[in-house]
Amino acid sequence: MKTGIFKRNEFYLLLVIVVFGAAITIVNPAFLTVENMFDLIRSSSGMAILAVGFFVVLLSGGIDLSFPAVAIVAQYITVNAIIALGIDNLWLAFAISSVIGIAFGAVNAFFISFFKIPTMIATLATMNIFHGLLLEFVGTKSINVGQLPHCFTNFGLTNLFTLARPDGSTYGLSVFFAVLVGVVLVTWVILRFTVMGRAIYAMGGNMEAVRRSGFNIRRTQFFIYCYVGLLASIMGIIHVSLIRYSNPTYIIDSDMMHVIAAVVLGGASILGGSGTLTGTILGVIMISLLEKNLVLLGLSSYWQQFFVGLILVLGISITHIQKRIQGRRSLALARE
Amino acid sequence: MTESFLEVRNISKAYAGVQALKDVSLSIGAGEVHCLVGENGSGKSTLIKCIGGVVTPDSGEILIGGRVYEHLQAIDSIRAGVQIIYQDLSLYPNVSVAENISLNQFVERRASFINWKEVRDIAARGLSEIGENINLDARVEDLSVAKRQIVAITRSLTQGAKLIIMDEPTSAITRDDVDHLFSVIARLKQKGIAILFISHKLSEVFEIAEMVTIIRDGQKVGDYPTAELDDRKLTFLMTGRNIDYTPYVVPAEKRQGTPILEVRGLSRRGHFQDVSFSLWPGEILGLTGLIGSGRTELALSLFGLNPPDAGTILLNGSPVHIRSPQDAVRLGIGYLPEDRLSQGLFTVQSIGDNIVITVLRKLLGFLHLLDPARVKKTQDDWIGELKIKTPSSRASALSLSGGNQQRVVLAKWLATQPKVFILDCPTIGIDISSKSNIHEIIRSLAEKGMAILVISDEIPEILHNCNRVLVMREGTLRKEIADATAVGEPELLSIISGKAGNGTAQA
Repeated sequence: MKTGIFKRNEFYLLLVIVVFGAAITIVNPAFLTVENMFDLIRSSSGMAILAVGFFVVLLSGGIDLSFPAVAIVAQYITVNAIIALGIDNLWLAFAISSVIGIAFGAVNAFFISFFKIPTMIATLATMNIFHGLLLEFVGTKSINVGQLPHCFTNFGLTNLFTLARPDGSTYGLSVFFAVLVGVVLVTWVILRFTVMGRAIYAMGGNMEAVRRSGFNIRRTQFFIYCYVGLLASIMGIIHVSLIRYSNPTYIIDSDMMHVIAAVVLGGASILGGSGTLTGTILGVIMISLLEKNLVLLGLSSYWQQFFVGLILVLGISITHIQKRIQGRRSLALARE
Repeated sequence: MTESFLEVRNISKAYAGVQALKDVSLSIGAGEVHCLVGENGSGKSTLIKCIGGVVTPDSGEILIGGRVYEHLQAIDSIRAGVQIIYQDLSLYPNVSVAENISLNQFVERRASFINWKEVRDIAARGLSEIGENINLDARVEDLSVAKRQIVAITRSLTQGAKLIIMDEPTSAITRDDVDHLFSVIARLKQKGIAILFISHKLSEVFEIAEMVTIIRDGQKVGDYPTAELDDRKLTFLMTGRNIDYTPYVVPAEKRQGTPILEVRGLSRRGHFQDVSFSLWPGEILGLTGLIGSGRTELALSLFGLNPPDAGTILLNGSPVHIRSPQDAVRLGIGYLPEDRLSQGLFTVQSIGDNIVITVLRKLLGFLHLLDPARVKKTQDDWIGELKIKTPSSRASALSLSGGNQQRVVLAKWLATQPKVFILDCPTIGIDISSKSNIHEIIRSLAEKGMAILVISDEIPEILHNCNRVLVMREGTLRKEIADATAVGEPELLSIISGKAGNGTAQA
């Protein structure tokens, strides 16, 4: 059993984050400023939301590789729809993208629960299906800042509160942070306090046992994949509002690696059934720091790719080694 | 006679023309401990599935608590108080004991939200009801198998079980844990909860059940009060034939000269200490002891999987270093693992591929590629030699029965022509008739001059097949029985458990 803070993966991850942050601060004191922190939050919120969704799937013992495609498809269709409808309203944008995200999630869930296709293969296939359909039927032309409806640009500039710099100009904490906090809270409540949430944990541990308990696995699978779809679609809106540009050919594949690396780094087992939301968020922080600050340490930005891959492979190795040690320990216990 | 809680009346079930159950009836009273025995494939599992509402019988009826169920569904069966604990226990390894016990209740109630206080209350109450004390926050994967079993039983109890069906509950736990389990069952019985115990380990049946129902080939042989049965009669009723044992004797003069395998002062910290013994060609040496006595760890050391810290291993009188299974195989040592499914067989591959896997290097031909003709010949030879029942060497290993699977694993090792062959629980999970067949194979190998070390915790298996027996306890070799015919089962049992001293056993 994990007791005490020192035995927890989260503690060590936090330690690494602190050490890494300190190293960056020594090289560049501008790192540890409120403004830079706010900036980091603004640019990483989208990734954090995806990570939360990916974490839920991983917990249930599945994997969803289609979320980058869902995010871009939902984003591009929504932006086009808002332009075509001429109703420049952010709530409408969220409504449209959510419907698309949930619908795609349902498609994933359909293949996974009815045809019992391995989740990774199913979502790898649907990723291509979704993206291919988008490019063929919706278009390939990117939408730049000039064409982008104001609701998105305004959303990207909205702050929860602002602070003044010495020169009088202001900076603030992006509203994205509120969206992220909302997503984390809702997910936490689902995982911690609902029977379905507990069943998601149990599914990651022993799917067959959950089935025998009479639990409706199919419904839960629909929930899980629709939820990821929804979160991906929210991320799609945040993404376009942040960069003020929507490029349908840009499938966010490097982001996918970062999200997976963040969740695994956060201590979630790639085999399902274990991990925490706190860990996931810490994982996102660590990956974001790497993403944005390696250059400050004098390393070229290509190193970032190297490190993300390294983290992924090390993180998964650790999970497997822990499993092995645990196996040995239970053998020892069986002897008593 | 108490009124029956469960009445199964004349049920039959056929699968694709195969009659799995034919006109089987069964009656269990409240608080009765009943045992269902039969060989693998006798229809035990189908009967249990019918009672659990997982399988619908073709004809016949099932009464639970006096109520007739025409089409019993799984949920009806659970609501009526029938709980089945499968061999794998159906627990959630990654979550806490408390949640394992309570979660299913929330599922059954169709609750949307979890009440953590209630989760703990249900679990604590359930455990205290059967007098158990397990940390509610411990994760199930960190518990011993015996404790996991208690968790599963507690879960059944808290779900309102009136009949708990346990499938082979004693197959993976130590003797002490079996005793403990039986004490828990006694408590359940006092509460008026009936237990249906499924087993094919003969000795345990007698200790616990009041009534024994025997089925063979899908038909009921009969119900017998336990007092009327003994080992021999039960075996006869289960298999339909008498199985006789002739002890295996190796004359003392054959045990002179240099032993093929000699172990001197072998130790591995935490596993076993200062173990010394010798093994001569033609011998079947039994190695027994409780799980955790160090017997399997010792065997693994001889096969290079658990390197010793100290001591020497000699083969034909010269010291050898066995650091890996490859070393062991090269030196002529074979090891048949305890768990044939996970360690001994490539289940998705064909029978033939399984047989030749250990000797591929010897079957190379032109350009160092595999020679198909020789591969085929090797496969067919072994299938014939060990009488593996299969239409083709290309059939999947998984398609075989337990006994035939074990023969495939045997063939795989015999193909390496070992001089010393270690067999770890060679007949675990195999039914009686296949068992005696495997025993015959082992015996004929020894007669041909192979040196064999059999590890087992089934006392009859050891006594009926080995000429000499080593007993381990708490990591040390406690006794060497030079003549296996000189000791009886009770004596050997007391030596193994170390409880009643060493009695009259001959050294």
